[in-house]
Amino acid sequence: MRALGPGSVSSFLKVILDVVRWVLFVSAGAGGLGILAVLLLSFNPDLLGGAVDIGGVHLEGAWLGPLLAGTLLVWVLYMAGAIVIVGRLRRIFQTLIAGDPFHPDNVRRLRVIGAALAVLELGRYLTAATLHLVSRALHLERLHVGGEINLTTWFAVLVIVVLAEVFREGARLRGEAELTI
Amino acid sequence: MPIRVRLDRLLVQRRMSLTELADRVGVTIANLSILKTGKARAIRFSTLASLCRELECQPGDLVVWEPGPPGEPEDDGLEG
Repeated sequence: MRALGPGSVSSFLKVILDVVRWVLFVSAGAGGLGILAVLLLSFNPDLLGGAVDIGGVHLEGAWLGPLLAGTLLVWVLYMAGAIVIVGRLRRIFQTLIAGDPFHPDNVRRLRVIGAALAVLELGRYLTAATLHLVSRALHLERLHVGGEINLTTWFAVLVIVVLAEVFREGARLRGEAELTI
Repeated sequence: MPIRVRLDRLLVQRRMSLTELADRVGVTIANLSILKTGKARAIRFSTLASLCRELECQPGDLVVWEPGPPGEPEDDGLEG
């Protein structure tokens, strides 16, 4: 099966990315609505049932609403980062389908993907640190924080940065070829 | 880049249009325009040979080197 052009692996993968993108949009939208609902209901905590169990952690009291809203906000931000990555990937795949992988815009797209991955990973550490502080303040010893350094992600960021440079050189050569008469 | 293409002058001297030259050489008018306006980055020997054949000239009549202003790079480079 061909890697470039219509009917190739790229066009198949782009269809998958289209679906993933819509799922991400729906998830982010649901998260946004959830934040709104939780914030509205937090004015009357009894409507939230007064207590919630998340991952074996029992939450109740005045902090219940803000904690849930914060959790949903992190979710929405994560979805937003994923949407940025998938959106750029879609456009890269569009150029692959068009048979033009070294389009100059792909360099910027790859750099954005790398930066978004790095920001998402740093955001994960920030979330973990915040959760750690909150769990200590609220005496939630059973709350899993999960802020371990993920080397795979950082290697992926490095690979994408290198790939962006390869594409930059490819785009330069493409420009030279286009202006060679 | 201090390399100048003198295609327009040769066309006037030979009383030939760009379209006619494009037909004779087998290069698109768009590409010849790029060459004529000095936007080309490189020229293939085969294209140069065809142009010289049709314009009855030497490569040196078509392409000349002119020193640019001080500080101008020899090769502009193309950024992606």
